[in-house]
Amino acid sequence: MIEQRFRCTACGKCCYGEIPLTLDDALANADRFPLAMVWTPVQQGTKVFQLTSRLGTIVQIAKGKTVAVLIAPTAYIPPSMACPALAPDNLCSIHDRKPMRCRTMPFYPYRNEDAQSDVLVPRKNWLCDMSETAPVVYKNGKIVDRTDFDREREGLMKHASVLDAYAQGLLKVHAPLMEFLAKTALNPTGRFVVRFSTFLLMNKIYDILSFAKKQHPVLVEFADRTASMPNAADHHKYYKEAIADLAWFAKKASK
Amino acid sequence: MSLCVCGSNIKSEDCCVPLHAGKPAPTALALMRARYAAYATKNIDYVEKTCTEKLRKEFNRLDAERYADEAEWIGLEILRTVDGGMDDETGQVEFMTHYKYQNQTLRQHELASFCRINGEWVYCDYEINPKKMPVVNSHQVGRNDPCPCGSQKKYKKCCG
Repeated sequence: MIEQRFRCTACGKCCYGEIPLTLDDALANADRFPLAMVWTPVQQGTKVFQLTSRLGTIVQIAKGKTVAVLIAPTAYIPPSMACPALAPDNLCSIHDRKPMRCRTMPFYPYRNEDAQSDVLVPRKNWLCDMSETAPVVYKNGKIVDRTDFDREREGLMKHASVLDAYAQGLLKVHAPLMEFLAKTALNPTGRFVVRFSTFLLMNKIYDILSFAKKQHPVLVEFADRTASMPNAADHHKYYKEAIADLAWFAKKASK
Repeated sequence: MSLCVCGSNIKSEDCCVPLHAGKPAPTALALMRARYAAYATKNIDYVEKTCTEKLRKEFNRLDAERYADEAEWIGLEILRTVDGGMDDETGQVEFMTHYKYQNQTLRQHELASFCRINGEWVYCDYEINPKKMPVVNSHQVGRNDPCPCGSQKKYKKCCG
């Protein structure tokens, strides 16, 4: 019998860098997180292929070669930067309405339930309590309390079809993206970042004006904060591009 | 009087302006040019109006307004046309638009399909960066033939 124990010590160490969000959590936090769409191709024959194809999309990148692509609305924050909701006392300032991703930690519903063992291993410097006094949370490939895991998985499934339609639509109108996807898929850890506005513009379900009004100042703030961070150059470039992309809408919204 | 923004070398009053005012486009190519001219003159109503109902549902008006506002339209290059004439019911126009957007000079290559609804040409489908060339047009337009855009000018003086 394999048991794994875990207790959160509220050290705040996992509140750094980017996190994938459900679409609802991303939109609800447009005035807080700088958002991006992260596209991660997953090879056929890997464990997570089936699940990824259900959460995201499937793309034929060459004759006889298909990849699943996870399309993740993401709080796109450099690894060295704290979550903007992390308070000075290292506690979450939005604890009662924090994203599902944060609630489910350290479990990860983008993987199958029986593949959670290594996400329970704390990363370097994290102060998770894994000792004998911590409760058993994972037993023989089963999560003991599945409440948050299931809720987050449902949150992901809820918008799977709209993310699928977005991905297929963008690939149709933007041919270089298909080449880029095929190239990225050659690298087993490859992924790329697409401006979040491409999602909002691909359909008419969401109001890009009110989104731009909330998101634009967040991007401006993150662009400023990363301007002189040498290890956040990619993020800085993304914020700048996303600002240019939303400027027209933000201006129109504030008229 | 100035030349039409669609690049036809015809005065705008004799080219896309009457179409924007409500005159039906005689050919698919004429509609294609008028739609480009509509973007260039920020006439998004015309762009929206000349789509099929299906494309109108997909059409993101705000995005189109933003593009029309922020892009600087450099030119429209017609690569080829298939049917779409006065006596046709369907037609295709393959084209390249050139424009500046957010300090970048860009181009878009598209194969646009047109059809008639209640006798009038509308934009009904598109393929961006088409891989396959459309069915080759068997009747090549001669330099001195009437232009396929329906302007009643010689091809060489118009779209040629």
